Amino acid sequence: MPGEEAVYLDYAAAAPLDPRVAAAMAACLADPALQANPASTHAAGQAAAERVGAARAQVARLVNAEPEAIVFTSGATESVNLAVLGAVRAAGKDRRHVVTSRIEHRAGVAACRQLEREGHAVSWLAPGRDGLIEVEQVAAALRADTALVTLMHANNEIGAVTDISAVARLCEARGIVFHADAAQSVGRMPVDVALPGIALLSFCAHKLGGPKGIGALYVRRRPRPAIQPLQFGGGHERGLRSGTLALHQLVGFGLACELAGAALAEEPAQVRSLRERLWQALQPAAPLWRNGAADPSAPGILNVGFAGIEGESLLFELDGALHTTSGAACSSATGEPSYVLRALGLSDEAIQASLRLSLGRGITVADVDRAAAMLVQAVARLRAVLPAGALERIA
Amino acid sequence: MIPVTTRYSKTVRTLFRELAGAGDLAADGGKAVSGEAAALDRGAWVRFAARIEGERFADCRFRAFGCPHTLAAASLVAGRLRGAPLAAAYSIDAAGIARELEAPAEKMGRLLVVEDALRALLAEFGRVQ
Repeated sequence: MPGEEAVYLDYAAAAPLDPRVAAAMAACLADPALQANPASTHAAGQAAAERVGAARAQVARLVNAEPEAIVFTSGATESVNLAVLGAVRAAGKDRRHVVTSRIEHRAGVAACRQLEREGHAVSWLAPGRDGLIEVEQVAAALRADTALVTLMHANNEIGAVTDISAVARLCEARGIVFHADAAQSVGRMPVDVALPGIALLSFCAHKLGGPKGIGALYVRRRPRPAIQPLQFGGGHERGLRSGTLALHQLVGFGLACELAGAALAEEPAQVRSLRERLWQALQPAAPLWRNGAADPSAPGILNVGFAGIEGESLLFELDGALHTTSGAACSSATGEPSYVLRALGLSDEAIQASLRLSLGRGITVADVDRAAAMLVQAVARLRAVLPAGALERIA
Repeated sequence: MIPVTTRYSKTVRTLFRELAGAGDLAADGGKAVSGEAAALDRGAWVRFAARIEGERFADCRFRAFGCPHTLAAASLVAGRLRGAPLAAAYSIDAAGIARELEAPAEKMGRLLVVEDALRALLAEFGRVQ
């Protein structure tokens, strides 16, 4: 995590662990009364199970779910895989079609690719230049054999927000299971699974100040969508995710959800305001552009391109002072150019020139101003050595 | 992701930090030549400009777009040519630059752009001589 002098603007990858969450997890780990397996029937096991129940209730409350509808997983990647693979495999041989988009998180993309390898048909919706997937596109892609529609709520690279309420209603009317990947939105903007048609919703702890390695899949109870589990064992989590629960992780996840829920009334507007301040403060680095729609968008994500700039050099220039992610490496550890930005129609050069800046709880006006000043200075230094004509061509 | 500090050698970090030789030749007479190469699909664009006096490079400057290895390589080559005999330029190639910078194999395509820019400069010198 960031040093004292560094500005951390990579909340879309992971928000810093809230110190209150860390303290609660440490206390749980050290508590002799909470060392038993929550699945054990003896008194010590039941004490642990009670804490699991409390954490489940905290997590459920954040998305307006019943606690029994929350299935704990190792994170959003597992949740997305369980939702996508589990729902489609359970749908039977007459429903072998899936609708998704080209700008899903790699977890969703990889799960759908796996379904293609298994013989399923997948419709990959293309976003507009603003990164938005419209409900009309989803409606046009539906077929008689569509088993699942799976879309991100807020995109992890550009922040564009899909109207999942409208898509969910559409799916419900057609009897199709709808899954929302809400890893970037839960805890950062209001998310309500009680909206008609949301059958499955994935999210995780480390985007909202909780620990890494823990997430959840909301599985609607009535009517419950059919899902095949991906792993087998003791039948934990309503048979959908076997494996002993990590109590300290759940305690951290639960508290992080409670804290995020308490901050939801004000924090999104504050973060959005800081993001717009950052965008304005970057204007001296023009020519520059914004990737994805400014609205509707996740409050904390700003994806910006600087004409004539190579992203790796920009990150190197800023190393140690500003922690963020370039468009050239947004696709996890592959180092490949961002397929999300490519789907928006950006050139290779424009992708290389793009940077994702993501803000969240704890970021201050001073942080934003300092980050902008560093970026403006770094961009100016790199542009000063460009060959003639490069500024115009690389955009 | 691998931390930046371990992805780049000390040589690359020093060259990138200083970018010695970046910019344009001073307009003070003498025979000036330039050479340029670009492969934007690889994210590299390099231009060398040199002033030649007799059989030596009196000065050499570069301009570049690219990753830290590209910029470091351009700076390395420009520095190597300043004050050097013309013949020295012919022994510089991408493989040697890669060794000196301890560059990973995936950077070779960009270092070849640096070599191509140098070759273009030498070809230009051959034409105007």
